[in-house]
This record gives sequence, structure tokens and C-alpha cells, in this order.
Amino acid sequence: MESGQVTTLTRDSARSSYARIGRFLARLVLGALFASAGALKIYDPGAFAIELERYQLVPWKIGVVTANYLPWLELLTGICLFLKWFERGALLLVTLLLGIFTLALASALVRGLNIDCGCFGHALVSTGTVIPILRNVVLLLLAGMLWTKYR
Amino acid sequence: MMSLRQAVLILLAALVPAGISALVNPRRPPWSGDALLPGEEKLKTVLAWGPKVLWVDARSQNEYEAEHVPGAVLLNLEDWDRLFPRFLDRWSPDQKIVVYCSASSCQLSHEVAKRLEQSGVSPVYILKGGWEEWKAAR
Repeated sequence: MESGQVTTLTRDSARSSYARIGRFLARLVLGALFASAGALKIYDPGAFAIELERYQLVPWKIGVVTANYLPWLELLTGICLFLKWFERGALLLVTLLLGIFTLALASALVRGLNIDCGCFGHALVSTGTVIPILRNVVLLLLAGMLWTKYR
Repeated sequence: MMSLRQAVLILLAALVPAGISALVNPRRPPWSGDALLPGEEKLKTVLAWGPKVLWVDARSQNEYEAEHVPGAVLLNLEDWDRLFPRFLDRWSPDQKIVVYCSASSCQLSHEVAKRLEQSGVSPVYILKGGWEEWKAAR
């Protein structure tokens, strides 16, 4: 084997190691964020239902069902992604949920609603809608990085 | 296809704890939309308190100038330093303070109420439904 080929192979292998580490970190970040977002809301679905009402997107009763269900779905999805159980399914759900959350936040922003994200219940400080939208875009990029594994 | 099958399994699995929580969690949301947040009061209750109420309008100056609850004081976070002394001139400790903003979906009344309490003013209540509720009742 010539030295040029060896250099190329070494460079490819280093690149693939970086990609693996990047995907590993992306999986941990997304899994941990989803699991914690769910866990923080599970305790008080009543308060979460009121946060949902502030978006003025769905009738109260649909908000009640969502407030009871969504935190558990986030928790389970986050755990699955973190532990690589049903990883592809969890990744699909994470991507879809992030897309829906981002659209909901963007619609609140466009309508001029002065609301908080509600993404982590009442546990974190007030963030408005712009910062959560930017955060979701970054998280979607991380999810995109994980999808490259299944190309 | 595998992703979809796995996603459906996770969706179904989440139904179990969510269903249990919906039945037994003491903080579950009520099925009716009339739920009150901590500190919130319904218009009917506030009106029953009679004249010992000081209304606080937490909306913008423009909205306040267009229309407001009779006798209400303007106090918002944007212009807190200028408006708070004016509020203090009108407030007496035997009054119940009721803060309102545009509607149930706005958060300004909660933020102003919190700031008032931090400033040592109490008791502070929030009008459920805000200005929209007031206007609908008139």
C-alpha cells in the first residue's frame, strides 16, 4: 500500500470516529433533554394544561388529554433514545415532536402571544418563545445527525 | 418501516402510565375549563368583594388608554419604575388588589402580581379571563 492511500485511510477513519462521537453525544443530549422535560411535567399536569391553553391552539379538553399524555411520552422517548432501546422509533418521535413544538412556538410568536414555552413545566426560568425556537432548531440538527447513521 | 413500528410501540407504552396518572394524580387538570390557577379569582367573586378592590391593569399604556376597568391603575413591567410610585399613591393596605391583563392566555397579570408581592404588597389576586372576561360581563 502506498503512503498516500494510508494517509487517506487514516483520515477517513478519524472522520468516522468523530462522527461516531458526535452521534453518541447527540443521542445523550436529546435523550436526557426529552426525559427531563417529561419528568418535570409529570408531577403537575394541571399546570401544564394551563400552559397549553395559553397557546390558544386546541380546545381545553384536548389540552387536558395532551397534558396527561405528552409528559409520559417525552419521558419514555427520552429514556429509549438514551438507552438505545427502540432507538429508531424514539428518534422518529423525537424528530416529529420537536417539529410540532417548533411550529407551535412559531405560531405563538407570529400571533404576538406573550407566553412562555412551558417545555420544562415551571421548573426553569421564563424564556419566552424565541430562545426555545432556536434551541429546538439546534436539537433538530442533532436529530438530523443521528439520522445519518441510518442512511 | 421499523422506525414506525417502534414509534407506535412507544406511543402505546406511554398510554399506560398516562392513563393511570389521569385517574390518580391529585394535580391532574380538571375536565372543565373553569380551573383557577393559584392566586386567580373569578370576576363574580371579585365583584362580590365590593368597593374594597383596587384594580391593576397590567397591559400596555396604549391598551389602558383605549379602555380599562373603571378606577383601574396602570402598572406594567415595561414601565415599572415610573408606574409603581403612582400605584402606591392609590393603594391602601386594607384593599384587595386585583390584577388583569388581556385574556386567560396572557401572562402579564401573573408577572405583575408576583412583582407586587415581591415588593411587599398583598393580598394580590389575578382576574381569571382578564379584560376579555370583564368586557364580556358588561
